[in-house]
Amino acid sequence: MNICGILVHAHPEGFAAVEQRLLAIPGVEVHGISEEGRAVVTLEEDDEDQMADSMLAIQRLEGVLSASMIYHQREDEEPTKEETMS
Amino acid sequence: MKQTRRDFIKTNAIVATASVAGITIPGAKEALAAEKQDDGIRWDKAACRYCGTGCSVLMGVKDGKVVASQGDPDAAVNRGLNCIKGYFLPKILYGKDRLTQPLLRKTDGKYDKNGKFEPVSWDEAFKTMAEKWIAARKKGPKGVGMFGSGQWTVWEGYAASKLMKAGFRSNSLEPNARHCMASAVGAFMRGFGIDEPMGCYDDLEHADVFVLWGANMAEMHPILWSRLTDTRLTKPGCEVHVMSTYEHRSYELADNEVTFVPQTDLAIANYIANYIVQNKAYNQEFIDKHVNFKKTPTDIGYGLRPTHPLEKAAKNPGKGKLSGITFEEYAKSLEPYTLEYTSKLSGVPKENLERLAKAYADPKKKVSSFWTMGFNQHTRGVWVNGLVYNIHLLMGKISEPGNSPFSLTGQPSACGTAREVGTFTHRLPADLVVKKEAHCKFAEKVWKLPEGTIPRANDPKMGKTLIHAVAMHRALKDGVMNTFWVMCNNNLQAAANFNDESYPGWRNPDNFIAVSDPYPTISAMGADLVLPTAMWIEKEGAYGNAERRTQFWRQQVAAPGDSKSDLWQLMEFAKYVKVKDVWPEDLIAQKPEYADKTLYDILYTNGQIDKFPAEQVTDDRGNKYDNDEAKHFGFYPQKGLFEEYRMFNTADDKPKKGHEMADFDAYHKARGIRWPVIDGKETLWRFREGYDPHVAKGSGLQFYGKPDGKANIITAPYEPAAEPPDAEYDMWLCTGRVLEHWHSGSMTRRVPELYRAVPDALVYMHPKDAKKRRLRDGSKVKVISRRGEITTRVETRGRNRPPEGLVFVPWFDAGRLINKVTLDQTDPLSKETDYKKCAVKVVKA
Repeated sequence: MNICGILVHAHPEGFAAVEQRLLAIPGVEVHGISEEGRAVVTLEEDDEDQMADSMLAIQRLEGVLSASMIYHQREDEEPTKEETMS
Repeated sequence: MKQTRRDFIKTNAIVATASVAGITIPGAKEALAAEKQDDGIRWDKAACRYCGTGCSVLMGVKDGKVVASQGDPDAAVNRGLNCIKGYFLPKILYGKDRLTQPLLRKTDGKYDKNGKFEPVSWDEAFKTMAEKWIAARKKGPKGVGMFGSGQWTVWEGYAASKLMKAGFRSNSLEPNARHCMASAVGAFMRGFGIDEPMGCYDDLEHADVFVLWGANMAEMHPILWSRLTDTRLTKPGCEVHVMSTYEHRSYELADNEVTFVPQTDLAIANYIANYIVQNKAYNQEFIDKHVNFKKTPTDIGYGLRPTHPLEKAAKNPGKGKLSGITFEEYAKSLEPYTLEYTSKLSGVPKENLERLAKAYADPKKKVSSFWTMGFNQHTRGVWVNGLVYNIHLLMGKISEPGNSPFSLTGQPSACGTAREVGTFTHRLPADLVVKKEAHCKFAEKVWKLPEGTIPRANDPKMGKTLIHAVAMHRALKDGVMNTFWVMCNNNLQAAANFNDESYPGWRNPDNFIAVSDPYPTISAMGADLVLPTAMWIEKEGAYGNAERRTQFWRQQVAAPGDSKSDLWQLMEFAKYVKVKDVWPEDLIAQKPEYADKTLYDILYTNGQIDKFPAEQVTDDRGNKYDNDEAKHFGFYPQKGLFEEYRMFNTADDKPKKGHEMADFDAYHKARGIRWPVIDGKETLWRFREGYDPHVAKGSGLQFYGKPDGKANIITAPYEPAAEPPDAEYDMWLCTGRVLEHWHSGSMTRRVPELYRAVPDALVYMHPKDAKKRRLRDGSKVKVISRRGEITTRVETRGRNRPPEGLVFVPWFDAGRLINKVTLDQTDPLSKETDYKKCAVKVVKA
């Protein structure tokens, strides 16, 4: 399991198009966009090479002004481990 | 409702990112708060290993290995952000080819320069090395040399300075920061009399206008770029001007694109000043109170060997002594730089130039200028840095929030170690210099050594002792310097003119080259002795970033095999040299009891450095950390060295004020502190009353680095580059970096993901230039200069888009050494290499 949180900046006027391009990258989800041109993006890819490729694709995406990594966690999956929220 | 581990981690990622972005995601925080997990990971802060931004990163360690990392949300610099290189930081420790034991070239069991590398013990390594060093030192102070780093920790640089300047009594100590920051330093000293920026990163939120002068911040300083981008997108009226010799990633945010012909930045800066003067837009009151006008000698050559025709032709080679002029004389010196002339010379359309000048000239707009290697690696680097200060000083736009001429840094401690500790040939700690008798005497007093120990710049007994980085390679080639210790850098790959200067110097049969590195770099493979090195968080460390912020970290993990930190190596090697081996009799006569002592005894166990006992390092949460150096030496060397170093910048009788620092323990508790630190408080904007406690009440502003408290506006003209294109070598070559790799790639090329992203250095070229040569994207070509060539492939549609007549090649690629092609030209004042301008041709391979 390999999950990363990324802050993406783009010009607000073109953000709809940027969002579409982001969503076309494997493993990407967009969770929230601010009016000023900031977006909360997660990237989830178990394959490390694919993860790296997707991450670099975000950096290089047309319209992306800046992409900063915020959070990353990688763990070997333990299929039996499942937690219950109280 | 059930939440899987995967959901939990994903929620963590969303919440962390949303909090940095200032966006609320409904329900996410609540989902996280409901579940606390203890996964046995020990988290602690560290300053990032790469660039001069100085981000803080959180390192998660479990079972002695770094397993997780995160941008530090409590860090003022990066506020939880991390760039792509920073994201992969833990992986730089775990490259497959880490060096784990010393390697010496040998044949039949004996050292042989032409032998093969064989593993040896540290004892054999240092014995062999000491023998060579003692013999080489007998030739004079330039017989030995050390080439250190802006990536050394503060105490490593300090220990090295003592070993060379006091132990071996040699000023042959240089950092790789000579290749990167020396021009910036030169301009600070000439303009303000004290090194490093007056402003800080807070300017990124305060400015209305950003001007990039030869800096591609989007790729080289991504976190600062992210902050700048945020200001541009959220502040009404904010604009960004991007100046460069080719289009790059930062142009995507540019409101004004200024692509100029190489070297004409000199003319553009003078045009802006001329515009301000002609329109009487300058701040008369500020100028009257706070500024002196000066001129500098012109036609100063290009820092090539004195035998080079260009040096012979120069009227004032290497000259930089300033002389006073009036405002009227200054104004007259600007007159040639009209809009018409400058536009024609630089190739920049008039409207773009005018827009830039107007932004500076508008008294209502706060302007921050940023620059890095485009300015510093320049044969007129000191001049061009100064020309931008001129603009800010004319307008009084300096030393206050948002108004900030800001020299960015490439290395994590180019400021903290190379500049503040002063690991240059001419420097001592805290802006002191070896050409001043009083400064040398002060250093000798702090170090408890006899007067005359430190070689003076023009020493009564040893003659001229200064030797800068580029001259060191020439001295190795010429056999003047015979031993060279390269630490924490990759100078064989980094230095210009590999074929004619560096490589022949390293392989000169008379010379013994030692390289300390974690990895088998080009430099390590070109050496005679390779010393395996503990890196970054495998030791306790301190870096100083570009905004005067000093940051500490604790040792997080152990180094592999028998590798040891640079600090350990410097101190341990000193045990192998006795005072009588390297000091003359008359000096020993002043301290006869020193004769049989080792350099280790007199430098590092002087009662000051060894007075702090080894202790269990514990953070304020009770987590425990190792300190391998303290364990080995039996005292806390990092603390002892830092506290002794602090006597230079903080003791009551220090020769120069303005560099004050807090005590050792304070830094382990803080996310960095910006000097000067007075009464425990950091300083954000220097020289301005209300921000800087050194400024006297009622004076408003004092440039206290200069005796009269005034800064210098220094006029300097446009002068052409050393090697412009001609009929045969018909293109400009500019070299530089890419986002994914840091400098020579010795760390980032060992991160599989980054290697995969950008495996090779390409030649970036305009499609029309490619077409003219019957080339297309991906064509195999040779890039050839008068000195050498490399083979690579053409890229015409990539992230860098040069204009016709210029190509760009990054220098990270050990398989394509672009420094075989570059010219070892330097700024004659700063001695910094210009890697941005030489003539090449590109032909089908």
